[in-house]
Amino acid sequence: MHQTLRPFELLEPETVEEAVQILSSYGNKAKVLAGGIDLVSRMRRWQIKPECLVSIQKIPGLDYIEGNGGGRLSIGALTTLRSVELSPIIQKDWMILYEVAHQIASIQVKTMGTVVGNLCVATPASDIVPVLFVLGAELKIVGPTSEKTIPIENFYIGVDQTILEPNQVVTEIVIPGIPAGAGGAFLKLEKTKADIAKVNVAATVTVTNGTCKEAKIALGAVAPCVIRATRAEGILKGEKLDEKTTARAAEAAADEATPITDLRSTAEYRKEMVAVLVRRAIEKASERAKA
Amino acid sequence: MRKEIATFIVNGVSYEELIESNMTLLELLRNKLGFTGTKQGCAASGNCGACTVLVDGKPTLSCLTLAWTVRGRNILTIEGLAKGGILHPLQKAFINHGAIQCGYCTPGMVISSKALLDENPNPTKEEVKAALAGNLCRCTGYVKIVDAVLAAAKK
Repeated sequence: MHQTLRPFELLEPETVEEAVQILSSYGNKAKVLAGGIDLVSRMRRWQIKPECLVSIQKIPGLDYIEGNGGGRLSIGALTTLRSVELSPIIQKDWMILYEVAHQIASIQVKTMGTVVGNLCVATPASDIVPVLFVLGAELKIVGPTSEKTIPIENFYIGVDQTILEPNQVVTEIVIPGIPAGAGGAFLKLEKTKADIAKVNVAATVTVTNGTCKEAKIALGAVAPCVIRATRAEGILKGEKLDEKTTARAAEAAADEATPITDLRSTAEYRKEMVAVLVRRAIEKASERAKA
Repeated sequence: MRKEIATFIVNGVSYEELIESNMTLLELLRNKLGFTGTKQGCAASGNCGACTVLVDGKPTLSCLTLAWTVRGRNILTIEGLAKGGILHPLQKAFINHGAIQCGYCTPGMVISSKALLDENPNPTKEEVKAALAGNLCRCTGYVKIVDAVLAAAKK
């Protein structure tokens, strides 16, 4: 049911420092408002009833995409999914990020929703998270007394749960440069184009002289959090990416997945599809690594 | 709860309204300002697109936007498209192509189409479909809607 929003305080700090101070004073009764897609939607269904919303929309300097020719890429907390999709930097040097932003949700949701917001919602079916896992992204987290940078893989602890304290804000995503000879791919299986994933897979492979030097595979919607398929990665490392090796890695990845049955799909089908998508993702990524 | 008088610019006209922090842009438009062309469709989940308006030219879901956060910004609703009693080319094309059945999704469809044509005046059929992927029509008349947008683009 959609309903009128319950009353709440709405504050609009102009610095990150001010934002975390306000958050601290509200304990766990305040929420951060960026694009508002998930937050307002859940508030309208009365699933959450925060006493205060701390909008970070008025904080200058949080809406940016900075990168140089495949080197380190930084994305600010207010950068929308649409900005990532349309960014010339990303279209030129970060194909896998463009692909994921291009296919996700609708134009309206992409125009409003931020990339960092998508990460903080912490759904295991996020399309963005697996891609950032294989790209080795790090998150900059600011709290009232300290700031730190952590690998995105250490950010999640369960369905809809992260290590973020109620008085901390993720201010930036930092992605290291792509190694020479690396290729990446993102694949997704869904009911309809606008729906979230039944299964999604992101992969990157680094190939030198025909041998796989490094492989990273991340699986979405098949465990409480997005996971790395580390056994599958181990099978690829040091090998030629032929049909047999790829098939073995795909089977291993399916083994590593622990999906559930829900309205979108069954656990059994999801497991099968992990194998199919991982095989295709490795094939596509290694094609691109050669190119 | 915050309760203040704020200024909103809707279809080029400035309005002052007493609003509370928990009011959505959709509620402001429909219940305070009387722009009932903008619709509530889905369960406020961002899926249907019936509440789409343009905020500073960008397609925005008014049911998930807090009115407070768009004060002073330029908001365009379906009521702002016709000028001097003359329909916008998109509105004419929707009528001429029979791209309207029950009409409930139509304002959102037309607004999303305007956002597309403002950004890309000569879209392909695929680009039109992608631009309208966030607008659901439960009468299932998508073919005619896509035809109408392509025809309006040629005008």
